[in-house]
Amino acid sequence: MAAASPEQASRALRPARAGRKLPLQLVVGASIVCVILALALLAPLIAPHPWDTINVRARFLAPNATYWLGTDDYGRDVLSRLLVGARLSIFMGVTATAISLAVGIPIGLAAGFFKGRIDEILMRGADVLLSVPPILLGLLVLAVTPPALWKTAVAVGFVYIPPMARLTRSVTLALAEEDFIQAARARGESTAYILFREILPNAWPPLIVEGSLRVSYAILLAAALSFLGLGAQPPSSDWGLMISEARSFIDNAPWIALAPGFAMCLLVIGVNLVGDGLRETLDPRLRHRVAGKG
Amino acid sequence: MASSTSAPPTLQVRDLTIRYRTPTGTITALDSISLAIPKGGALGLVGESGSGKSTVGLALMGLLPSEAQVAGGQLLLDGSDLLALDPEARRRMRGPKLALVFQDPFTALNPSLRVGAQIGEGLVHHRGISVSAGLDAARRLLAEVGISDPAAVADAYPHQLSGGMRQRALIASALACEPELLILDEPTTALDVTIEAQILDLLEGLRAKRGLSLLFISHNLGVVRRVCDRIAVIYAARVVEQGPTAAVFARPAHPYTKGLLAAIPRLSERRGRLAAIPGRLPDLAAPPPGCIFAARCPFAEPACIAERMPMREDGERAARCRRLDAVGAAPWPVAAPAPHAARAEAGAPIVSARGLAKTFHLRRGLAALRWQGGRIVHRPVFVRALDGVDLDVAPGEVLGLVGESGCGKTTLGRTLLRLVEPSAGTIRIDGRDVTGLDARAMLPVRRMAQIVFQNPDSSLNPRKTVRELIGRPLVRFGLAAPGDVAARVAALLDLVQLPASYAERYAHQMSGGEKQRVGIARAIATEPKFLVCDEPVSALDVSVQASIVNLLADLRDRLAVAYVFISHDISVVAHLADRIAVMYRGRIVETGPTAAVLAPPYHPYTAALLSAVPDVDAPKRDRIRLKGEIAAPTGSQGCVFESRCPRRIGDVCATAMPPTRAPAPGHAIACHLETEELGH
Repeated sequence: MAAASPEQASRALRPARAGRKLPLQLVVGASIVCVILALALLAPLIAPHPWDTINVRARFLAPNATYWLGTDDYGRDVLSRLLVGARLSIFMGVTATAISLAVGIPIGLAAGFFKGRIDEILMRGADVLLSVPPILLGLLVLAVTPPALWKTAVAVGFVYIPPMARLTRSVTLALAEEDFIQAARARGESTAYILFREILPNAWPPLIVEGSLRVSYAILLAAALSFLGLGAQPPSSDWGLMISEARSFIDNAPWIALAPGFAMCLLVIGVNLVGDGLRETLDPRLRHRVAGKG
Repeated sequence: MASSTSAPPTLQVRDLTIRYRTPTGTITALDSISLAIPKGGALGLVGESGSGKSTVGLALMGLLPSEAQVAGGQLLLDGSDLLALDPEARRRMRGPKLALVFQDPFTALNPSLRVGAQIGEGLVHHRGISVSAGLDAARRLLAEVGISDPAAVADAYPHQLSGGMRQRALIASALACEPELLILDEPTTALDVTIEAQILDLLEGLRAKRGLSLLFISHNLGVVRRVCDRIAVIYAARVVEQGPTAAVFARPAHPYTKGLLAAIPRLSERRGRLAAIPGRLPDLAAPPPGCIFAARCPFAEPACIAERMPMREDGERAARCRRLDAVGAAPWPVAAPAPHAARAEAGAPIVSARGLAKTFHLRRGLAALRWQGGRIVHRPVFVRALDGVDLDVAPGEVLGLVGESGCGKTTLGRTLLRLVEPSAGTIRIDGRDVTGLDARAMLPVRRMAQIVFQNPDSSLNPRKTVRELIGRPLVRFGLAAPGDVAARVAALLDLVQLPASYAERYAHQMSGGEKQRVGIARAIATEPKFLVCDEPVSALDVSVQASIVNLLADLRDRLAVAYVFISHDISVVAHLADRIAVMYRGRIVETGPTAAVLAPPYHPYTAALLSAVPDVDAPKRDRIRLKGEIAAPTGSQGCVFESRCPRRIGDVCATAMPPTRAPAPGHAIACHLETEELGH
């Protein structure tokens, strides 16, 4: 009240200002992602060998001093291909997630806020899309036209629109009941203001966690589509494609498949950790929970 | 043991200290608490939220959360120390020895189990009787707690019961194993006053019949006064005063008790200002070395802050204050009202509603189709939340709107601002019919008419700072140039008595009362002429409630704003309102000047509401008890109150709309009884 001591005031405000503690998983996750990102960007410079040069005399070499991760069936350096392929995987994951967020969030906000008929139409549409297995849906999008990289990204993004919309809707439904929405309506605020300035900022934490999970799913789905021959095309290098090509030699030369598999695993873990960490940092209630007690 | 009573007490708590480990440090939740309840006695444990009162109940039950740690003391039940027992032995005590009734009857019952099974469960478990015998016992218990059709209720699921019925079921389940001590943690806080009165009657009856000992935990002094013969006032983890209820209420010794009692609005004295207790609870992680209440105490002197004070006993009573003799009977100081602005009493009403109706369709259209008797029938479900309401508010006037939950008062408040679109009727604001206006034309009206909400946690966007929250209406209505917003926000904060530094805070960094002040500042930022206050104090502690009520009174006097002040608590309304409207099931049953509504002749519902309010000053008086609970308004031909009315005449009440009786100019009562009969 009026007589809150200055000591109390400063204690409550401190975490917002200096020395904010970052969650460990955010630091670890961001480090993993940053290292992979840096390696991908610098790939042409740091790749020890040309990624697409065929060397028939160096086929199926196990990891050694020259070829750190061995060579594949064409004698190409697995490490170099891995580094170059990272760009495609990350591009796929990020683009597809951006598409699903950009389309899914407005749909979810509208469905959750207007309810009634609009909600019914949008959500039944989402149900139809959800009822088709993602890989089939992706195949469907790609099958009608000749495969191209950007189409794979769009297809994967399209597949993840319904879950994003559903999540946004459920968060919006709860937030729309809050009194601060009524307060905004009592000020005559526009629907757009209410949706994007009052509701969306409060909906971000679950959306960011979900979005980061989706990045990893998108990477995996894009890899799966590449694996089926509908994503990146040989001889270009993509982690999914690499695994697909290595499948035939998995008994004799497991490293060809293991390297991209392990890399994908690491990237997905990194992205998930970032998502988890972001959730904790972004929510002011979580951020100050410790300070607010007592 | 220097107990003044001869019989050994059922419960004795000795020097109980409990600490909570939190990431920021250790918080002392209870600091050397000592209490005693004699056999058949009832002790009221009173304090504001955060004082530690619920921790006592949890400690007794052995249900403390894992971060809590008992740092010392004894819990003696019939002479044996509960804290010395192993968890299994304590589990066996729960039910047969002591039982707890939780605050919220809406969440304390398992929604997927039948009520009878939940009540009988304890018996089946502790006594090893069969499930069907447990069910029989459950029906007997339900009958004992005053449920008229125990078999049907035992067969029902919790969601099929009303709040009052659920609370009765919870009490029945606590009584199942015949405990010696019943702990009640705010058992009536979630209920309406008329239902609260029923539950309190029940508890009084049970206590007399079964010889139960009660530990009654509550923030409501009026409720405690009715039920308990001894009272312990707890503040910031320490008991500050203890004694027989009547004596403590008549002559409170500790300043905090004085403040608490003075802060309660009373029906008998209105206008002026309530006594408020400024400040907030001390930081329990680092409590002050001296008296914990010194920082908020108007009687404190430097020595109070320096040294800790033990309980000073004086016969039956004890208090923890070093200035006990010096303070003596000195009353708690009350602030003087702010200077009055010229009240524009005369003139056209600022808000005027005619024939306002709102029907909520819960099931309609295709969703209302049902398969019945071999064919498809249309069975829509709807609630008539407002059913022909007429209302006028003069400029600068405070209209109090009273009624139980579900009577439609919140819907009425929101409909007046067109936050809810009326199904029928007209609303005029400042002489202009606003019912058909589009969003753009509505904007000047929106500026003129604002709203303050009940729940301060929900009314402030948690992602925005106070500056953004209060600044937004200024920007929205172009009331301040971008460079001036900060200064205007500071001025508004000053108006609601918050320091300017609060502009940078988020909602979660403030206490409930502070949040409510920000909500009020946001509402008055547009310089409105009319404010809907929707239960603005019912989520707050008594001491905080008083300061918010005072603030609203000050603002009315300084800014000449008219309020529709909605509350279920008729004593708060009576304190602030010029006129009162009493609502029941979507209709206004009585309206008139405050003094006229509070005095006979009454509408039978007003009479019942007034008599249900627990009185702090007089524990016993003639009471009117309503049977049953408010039903969902679905529209009826006759009087809405007919089904519960203690003065029902006959079929005419159910079939014909009651005429309006006007005992005095401006006083209207909708009842079939003649004015003379309503007088007594």
